Amino acid sequence: MASIQPLGDRAVLVRFADSLSEAANREAIGFAASLDANMPEGVEEVAPGLVSVLLRTRAGTDFWRLSGELRLRLGEPQASPAGRTHEVAISFDGEDLPEVAGLTGLAPENFINRHNEGELRILATGFAPGFVYCGFHPEALIVPRRVQVRAEVPAGTVLFAAGQTAITATPIRTGWHVIGRTEFQNFDLTAMPPTRLAPGDLVRFVNVR
Amino acid sequence: MTAITILRAGPLTTLQDAGRFGMLRHGISASGPMDRLAFAAAGAALPLAGSTAIEHTQGVSLETDTPVMLAFPEVRELRPGERLEVPPAAGNYGYVRFDREIEIAPVMGSRSTNVTVGLGGFKGRALRAGDRLALGGEGSAIVPPSTPRSTEGPFRVIWGIHADLFSPSLRERFAAASFGVSPHLDRMGVRLEDSAGVLKDQRRLTLVSDAIVPGDIQILGDGTPVVLMRDHQPTGGYPRIATIIDADLDRFAQMRPGTRVSFQPVRV
Repeated sequence: MASIQPLGDRAVLVRFADSLSEAANREAIGFAASLDANMPEGVEEVAPGLVSVLLRTRAGTDFWRLSGELRLRLGEPQASPAGRTHEVAISFDGEDLPEVAGLTGLAPENFINRHNEGELRILATGFAPGFVYCGFHPEALIVPRRVQVRAEVPAGTVLFAAGQTAITATPIRTGWHVIGRTEFQNFDLTAMPPTRLAPGDLVRFVNVR
Repeated sequence: MTAITILRAGPLTTLQDAGRFGMLRHGISASGPMDRLAFAAAGAALPLAGSTAIEHTQGVSLETDTPVMLAFPEVRELRPGERLEVPPAAGNYGYVRFDREIEIAPVMGSRSTNVTVGLGGFKGRALRAGDRLALGGEGSAIVPPSTPRSTEGPFRVIWGIHADLFSPSLRERFAAASFGVSPHLDRMGVRLEDSAGVLKDQRRLTLVSDAIVPGDIQILGDGTPVVLMRDHQPTGGYPRIATIIDADLDRFAQMRPGTRVSFQPVRV
């Protein structure tokens, strides 16, 4: 069952699990969409995460009243937003690609084919502007994160770890494996909304040769 | 161009308006003034004030090519040919506001600078000597904040989303201990010194990332507590023991390095 917790006195976090799972992620995205369609009183902003939904509240909003309303809403059928499908072209020339392929026991060519085989879902945007987590890859492709954090990778870096592919939209430090890069820009500060990929959307990866 | 010219600026001198709200789902935290009450007080000191302030850390020097009313929060008129030396704030952050807008295109509805990401404000960066801020239309009347600032005593916190990962005895020690404000502080976060070693044996945990809010106290892998501030990362995976309440966070932002601080758990 989802937990409803205060996050300070100006936000509430509805969490569907303590660890990442397909089911919890779908619940978070669906619940956020339901809230978007009908914002509870006192809520200023809703943001879906990997397994939780943040509700930022107005000063003076009573946590217990709001959590009671959320508890009722959680019992109702949730929205299942119709995600759009995007194609993202990747140059698989990242410096960690040979190592990652090795960890999965595949030749780089085969790793790339397996990586691109199925469509992935956008699990969440977070950590940095336009940074998206895409999942989930099959179990055979799950590798741990790197031990060392990389100083900084540029926007458009394609990262891989924990059964997911992530795409950077701004320069960030990362402990994920760098497997490639893309021209796909998910963050445009002059556009509204400033990101193109939304949680629940599907992505199809293709290999740029 | 009618403009203010920056003659000297300390590090972390940025443009801030009330903040860039509503963008968390795109991975963008709200930024905005580190001390909202001081920001509002500077605005309320003027009959009309633009929405955007210069937030400074060690004072700032300005000149102008047109007469302009400003408040820091002392009100004065600055005339062409004069040089204004705004003194450092009593805490970490001071504000200069003008009787008109600073003419910079808002980014996603706000002129606040997010230094972590490099967006908004003046070219997405801190101000430095030589920068010219164009002045535009007249400002509006600012209502002074009605809630008085809590002036002293422990900072009130609400136990955080991961508080149950910390033992009851550790939580008791956390609430009883005092921590030092370290020199490692900026708009993103304030590192604390845990000289009592309350958190030093905290085991490393791998947690799923969840939303962060300003005031969250996260514990790094080496046991260092960090209070996340206005330019925080929007999500994070370090355990968070507690969150400073909204009404106490502005006062916390003003704590100088070396100050001892403590936290008092309260309920929602």
